[in-house]
Amino acid sequence: MTPDLQPFVISRTFDAPRDLVWKAHTQCEHLRHWWGPKGFKITDCKIDLRPGGTFLYGMQPVSGGDKIWGKFVYREIDEPEKLVFVVSFSDENAGITRHSMSSVWPLEIFGTSTFSEENGKTTVTVSWKPFNATEEEIDAFEAGRPSMMQGFGGTFDQFEEYLKTFD
Amino acid sequence: MTIATDRLSFTFAALADPTRREILKRLAKGEASVLDIARPFKISLPAVSKHLKVLEKARLISRGRSAQYRPCTLEAEPLKEAADWVDQYREFWEQSFDRLGDYLKTMQLHEAKKNAASRSRKRR
Repeated sequence: MTPDLQPFVISRTFDAPRDLVWKAHTQCEHLRHWWGPKGFKITDCKIDLRPGGTFLYGMQPVSGGDKIWGKFVYREIDEPEKLVFVVSFSDENAGITRHSMSSVWPLEIFGTSTFSEENGKTTVTVSWKPFNATEEEIDAFEAGRPSMMQGFGGTFDQFEEYLKTFD
Repeated sequence: MTIATDRLSFTFAALADPTRREILKRLAKGEASVLDIARPFKISLPAVSKHLKVLEKARLISRGRSAQYRPCTLEAEPLKEAADWVDQYREFWEQSFDRLGDYLKTMQLHEAKKNAASRSRKRR
């Protein structure tokens, strides 16, 4: 873990009571209706809602194509206020594969979802940061250092925007 | 672990330090020598060199080859990858939440119907 790395945060307020929003986050019959990025449908879902338990899901592009598996391992469950979990890509048996839809995405992620209710509306705040970017990993990386991409790419605009997310 | 994953962990670890982020901001304005970079910081030159080594290992900067003056230059590619990763993850949640907003309305309708049904059962 990189404890001094500021998390990224997404927040959304829903016009629904907290118990319902909690259910929607923790039960497969509900998750399969909304979880996943645009253009994907949830094909498989299994939840073992307890610390150390796993939420395993499979999703498939609506246009067809290979299934992608992902999982959460719950660290903390404080119904109906808070979920703490580690997200990773997975295979269908919940083994971490770090397989991904993008070559640059498959880091493990440390996530926290909090649920707060006010006047019948519920705000969900998800914060997340890369998980396991440890000194040991860096050393291991150094030991087996592959040849890396060369040259300049990208734009400084994007860089500046990215740095802003840390402030 | 894939190579890309490793590299990204490495980028994030390098970015986790505020001094290193300041150094990168300085280099976004153009290349600079170690002395130039060290000037605004209240830390020793060896400490700055250490940070530069971490950034260099993460490929966030490159150093000139001349032995006496080795200017540091910002390398944008690893930052772009990190930013892409952040964007994709953000999109995953944003798009899911878009759907959740609609789905919660459906859930509430169901709950209301269920409650109405159980109320009418109780009346009987």
